[in-house]
Amino acid sequence: MSIITYIVDNWGTLGPQAVTHIEIVAMSMAAAALIGLILGVFAARSERFSTLILGVTSTLLTVPSFALFGLLSIWVGLGNPPVIVGLVLYALLPVVRNTATGIRAVDPAVTGAARGMGMSPIQVLARVEMPLAAPAILGGLRQATVMVVAIATVGATVGADDLGQPILEALGRSSGTLVQVLAGVIPVALIGLTADLILAGVQRTLSRGTAREAVG
Amino acid sequence: MITFDRVSKLYGRVTAVGDLSLEIASGEIVVLAGPSGCGKTTSLTMINRLVEPSSGTISIDGRDTAGMDVNALRRSIGYVIQQVGLFPHQTVAENIATVPRLAGWNRRRIAARVEELLEMVGLPPVEYGRRLPAELSGGERQRVGVARALGADPEILLMDEPFGAIDPVVRVRLQNELLRLQKVLHKTIVFVTHDIDEAVRIGDRVALLSQGGVLEQYARPVELLAHPASPFVAQFLGEGRMVRRLALLSVRDAHLAEPNGSGLPAETVGADASLRDALDAVLRAESGRVTVRDADTVLGVIDSESIREASR
Repeated sequence: MSIITYIVDNWGTLGPQAVTHIEIVAMSMAAAALIGLILGVFAARSERFSTLILGVTSTLLTVPSFALFGLLSIWVGLGNPPVIVGLVLYALLPVVRNTATGIRAVDPAVTGAARGMGMSPIQVLARVEMPLAAPAILGGLRQATVMVVAIATVGATVGADDLGQPILEALGRSSGTLVQVLAGVIPVALIGLTADLILAGVQRTLSRGTAREAVG
Repeated sequence: MITFDRVSKLYGRVTAVGDLSLEIASGEIVVLAGPSGCGKTTSLTMINRLVEPSSGTISIDGRDTAGMDVNALRRSIGYVIQQVGLFPHQTVAENIATVPRLAGWNRRRIAARVEELLEMVGLPPVEYGRRLPAELSGGERQRVGVARALGADPEILLMDEPFGAIDPVVRVRLQNELLRLQKVLHKTIVFVTHDIDEAVRIGDRVALLSQGGVLEQYARPVELLAHPASPFVAQFLGEGRMVRRLALLSVRDAHLAEPNGSGLPAETVGADASLRDALDAVLRAESGRVTVRDADTVLGVIDSESIREASR
């Protein structure tokens, strides 16, 4: 049986699972972006906070997803919620790190001029530092998104009805086939690639002046 | 008028500026000059409070700046730095619009102001307004930096080694443009440089600082070159003071001799030429005498003796 006919035949279940998968990723990334940006700004301002938060977020990444989702399900129950929370925790490191690095990379002469012209600290952040750090921040969001799309499949173990389900079912049955595994893996890969392409496009449009400035 | 009253700035135990008192008159260009570590930039940035004094007061037109809203104070003072610090993600027009936008001007007024400023610094608005800073040469960037500082028409302009990173030929051109602008604008300009030639060329007055922000001499350039107040000043001014001073004096400052019976020398020099140019003409002239002309009118004759007298 070809993989394509399998996917078409089982679209009744695979379709909704793909939608759930995308929903889980979108919700996790929205929360991770918001939290990560705020933490990243503070990390850029304080070396001590930076060391602390990067330590914590990289430690989080070393926890196996299977174990993290299981632990979280004790507090937030089974299904999608523990997966969303867990993915937010995983996504934080690239977002925080790239936000902090991006802001720190802004030429001090540029922020100095901004302050000297009478911009308040919030205005310097919003009008100068964030726009100039945007390409780096988007880079972090891209990394996190691709990672989260893949890890979300493990969420099936705690009952998330996403594209991890066909894979889990196939692995759990003696009669499971490679085609069944691929029916989960291929849509996941497509979602990851598509998200990456979209974010890369956003990254390019937000890079006005910054990339060329680095060269000139 | 900007007044420094016993202003000091300490970093730990290091004195960057020590007990500085200085009056900067409105409409003048005052140059803060001195070797690195003399506290000239620190003194400058205490005016717009990017650096806060450790003691003493700085007042503008009698108002203590310490009591003002810091962002409002900075918006009322133009600020130009050596690295320019243009916003790389914004066009030239957007950069120049920064302070007017912060001040809440309407769109039409901002657009008109940006156009006016670009014309003023010699960059055609149609050609330059939409460019990004990366698409400009060093000299053009610095011009945009000056235009941006003049955005909301501030009374005071602070310039921190603005032409320091520009090649010498363009630097002289930018200096001349600044002097030309100043003739129209009459701003109070505080200008920091470590280049004494730039200081005497640009400044109405020069404040020469030594290590630790000690004011060695505060005088007009001609006075500074003729009468250095200390060995430090003389050393910082360097060789050939009196000859360089001639460049600051005009032929009009000299006492010209009446043309005598032997006729006018064929060599001429304009009445607005510097005494240095006049001396050059005198040294080249066969007779050692040169006719001074103002357009078609003969004003008199100048020779080495009258130049020597005028220079003292």
